Amino acid sequence: MAHSQAPKLADTKTTLGSLGPRIYMVAGGVGLVALAASVALGLAKADGLRHFGFSYLVSYAYFLGISLGALVFVALQHVTRSSWSVVIRRLPELMAANLVVLALLALPILLNLSHIYAWASGHVPAEQAALLAHKAPYLNKTFFTIRWVVYFVAWIWLAFYFWRKSLRQDETGEVKLTKQMENLSGFALVVFALTCSFAGMDLLMTLDFAWFSTMFGVYYFATGFVTFCAVLTLVTLALQSTGRLENIVSGEHLHDYGKLMFAFTFFWAYIAFSQYMLYWYANIPEETVWYLVRSQNGWGRVGVILIFFTWLAPFLGLISRFAKRSRKLLAVWAVWIVIAQWVNVYWLAMPVFSPDRVRLDLLDVTCFVGIGGIWLATLALLAGNRSLVPTQDPRLRDSLNFENA
Amino acid sequence: MKTAASDVYDNTSDDPTRPPVLILGDQDFTSVTDKIAGIVERPSPPRAWYIAFAVTVSMTGVLFAMILYLILTGVGVWGLNNPVGWGWAIVNFVFWVGIGHAGTLISAILFLLRQKWRTSINRFAEAMTIFAVICAGIFPAIHVGRIWVVHWLFPIPNYQAMWPNFRSPLLWDVFAVGTYMLVSLLFWFTGMIPDLATLRDRATSKVRQMAYGFFALGWRGSHRHWHRYEKAYLLLAGLATPLVLSVHSVVSFDFAVAQIAGWHTTIFPPYFVAGAVFSGFAMVGTCLVPARQWFGLKNFITIYHLENMNKIILATGSMVGLAYATEFFIAWYGGNPNEAFVFVNRAFGPYAWAYWIMVSCNVLIPQLFWFKRLRTNVVVMWIIYIFVNIGMWFERFVITVTSLHRDFLPGSWGYYKPSIVDILTFAGSFGLFFTLVLLFVRYLPMVAMAEVKTVMPIADAHSGERRAVGDYHGDIPQEIRDRRSHS
Repeated sequence: MAHSQAPKLADTKTTLGSLGPRIYMVAGGVGLVALAASVALGLAKADGLRHFGFSYLVSYAYFLGISLGALVFVALQHVTRSSWSVVIRRLPELMAANLVVLALLALPILLNLSHIYAWASGHVPAEQAALLAHKAPYLNKTFFTIRWVVYFVAWIWLAFYFWRKSLRQDETGEVKLTKQMENLSGFALVVFALTCSFAGMDLLMTLDFAWFSTMFGVYYFATGFVTFCAVLTLVTLALQSTGRLENIVSGEHLHDYGKLMFAFTFFWAYIAFSQYMLYWYANIPEETVWYLVRSQNGWGRVGVILIFFTWLAPFLGLISRFAKRSRKLLAVWAVWIVIAQWVNVYWLAMPVFSPDRVRLDLLDVTCFVGIGGIWLATLALLAGNRSLVPTQDPRLRDSLNFENA
Repeated sequence: MKTAASDVYDNTSDDPTRPPVLILGDQDFTSVTDKIAGIVERPSPPRAWYIAFAVTVSMTGVLFAMILYLILTGVGVWGLNNPVGWGWAIVNFVFWVGIGHAGTLISAILFLLRQKWRTSINRFAEAMTIFAVICAGIFPAIHVGRIWVVHWLFPIPNYQAMWPNFRSPLLWDVFAVGTYMLVSLLFWFTGMIPDLATLRDRATSKVRQMAYGFFALGWRGSHRHWHRYEKAYLLLAGLATPLVLSVHSVVSFDFAVAQIAGWHTTIFPPYFVAGAVFSGFAMVGTCLVPARQWFGLKNFITIYHLENMNKIILATGSMVGLAYATEFFIAWYGGNPNEAFVFVNRAFGPYAWAYWIMVSCNVLIPQLFWFKRLRTNVVVMWIIYIFVNIGMWFERFVITVTSLHRDFLPGSWGYYKPSIVDILTFAGSFGLFFTLVLLFVRYLPMVAMAEVKTVMPIADAHSGERRAVGDYHGDIPQEIRDRRSHS
């Protein structure tokens, strides 16, 4: 507990200031334009917005994963009484609170279910009709919508609970607020585990309603969490490049970001490998069919890219201490993971739409920019001109002084 | 930061404004060494130790008698039948390997996560890991039938060019468990070197000095030694971390690669790992709670430490519960009639009693740890540990037996019952385990002295008047230092 050279919070810029409006004007403007363009492009395809639906779903599932990763990160920090992360905890708090806009952004999917999900379309091959009838109690539009309302109520309640208590502590400095957040965090993890696994299955697994995997919820969590770690790194570095959080978020914190990205890249690969290997080994047609589609007509190449691009490269790149403590390398690998994990989600969803070829479309880009732009704009909007650091957190001093042993 | 005696001071108060006090009883470095090393240095252990040792050695004798009987007679002495060709042997193997997961999780993963409280319990847990893996290794070895060719498990070049089946998860087990055993042993031993040197320096007999001195590898406590030690420790922690996940993942592959309903499901690897950590912590707790009482270690293994362990048990137990629920959901959702049958049969078939023991012990009873009063009460937690041990053994029993006993051909359905040899072999493995634990607490320091000292307030250079002075030679009792300076 060396407090001799504690960096001073007062010397550091900890608010967005004039940057905030600029971000939400630009990002929000670009996002809205891109979304409008997506709808126009989708309508131009004249396929009842089916292509648009899939492209939108990919980027939606991707950004939802990031905000869910942020939510579980915040709950984990409280449940473990973590001190290292206090100085950066406001950022994930905001990303989790951003689930509010993701609830709105879910509408294009919920209103377009019948064009995205075969089980909702009413056109099912005769040989699959009995199977779908069996699953109908779970796979129907009403229950699907009810589930998503329940998920979002739970997520937004939890995210706002942590964010608002934390904001209130900035003003009052009450220690009991920390205790309240800690008390809810265990329960929050239970709620999160249930909702996140089912949401992942609902969103991406039921695209092929005949296929199933008990691992799928964990797979979706792993994807979202590692992407969140990379986004958190990028947001922190971006803020630092504008002079914000400059001295208080040190190389020690960045080192931990690097460790998180490294560990969860590996975790994602472990989950992806386990799912693949077990289905490949047993070779049961009803299970391998999902991988069959994803190993033909160019999708197999995307799968191979995933092995090297999404797992091996960041794994090797982040293994050394030097890389984890270098701002430049950390930024490179964070961008890398952000792209690679998007490819991963694309590979999960798109083969259902286009099994015969990999069809990267302008729609995929506009949907990504659209949802991403709005996500970023509301992030800045939620941040407002308030502090980006929980200034009165009782563990802040430990966080500022923390060192990797 | 003054602390009172443990029975007065509540270190579970969980005050966010200051870090928890890990070591109670107003200790300094010397008192820590005196306490921990003192347990090993007693001329003879208390009579209870001898009684316990006699019991466990007798049970170990039963184990080896049963193994001998098995070898001389054949695996027919077990309760295996058709269709249940895998019975207690594999159940016990997975049970013991699972227990071996807490130690390396505590020593490696909690080290990487900077959980300082681990220092009080890691030595004990790591020792248990090694003993549990030894117990586990026995079962597949004696299951091979012709034990005299058990070395064929390993890919040994031979003139017949015969190799084990590299596509078999049973061979992967040989590598996974073997690697885990090796790295855990190295990790345990490396961490113990400074403590062994302390015991060497305090030894009052030539034999002890030579024995501890041999294993202390010439440790002198120089800065260079410490520097290399810490580097090695970090590297070993990094290497051991993926092993914690890989061992039980590979064990889960034994089941999950098969096309057998109830076994073949993708959640198995992480679900088995969570279950293993769960059972491992419960077994560590089962041993630690009495040990801290009998050896007077309440100031080192405090209620705070136990509470943290109980939180991990609650978390991993709930993960296991989520996995059970997911399996059940997908068994219905998947629409495969065989899968659905197996799960309904588990819960309501002839082995329903085992299934509900499993669910109650693993999912329901640990939920009591949500209440702080219960998770900080040593009697309550110890009873829950026992339930978890039982529940996790039953989990492996349910997985193994219920999926096999009613296979695809109803004409060959059967009911599996263990034989007396099965039961005595399993009971005997507890004898072996506790024999090793008793030897460990008799001859080796059961708390990592050097590591505990680093988390004490006086290890901090800014701690004021009680600042630590000198290096580890301060551990050497005054009378021995006097004797040395005279000679």
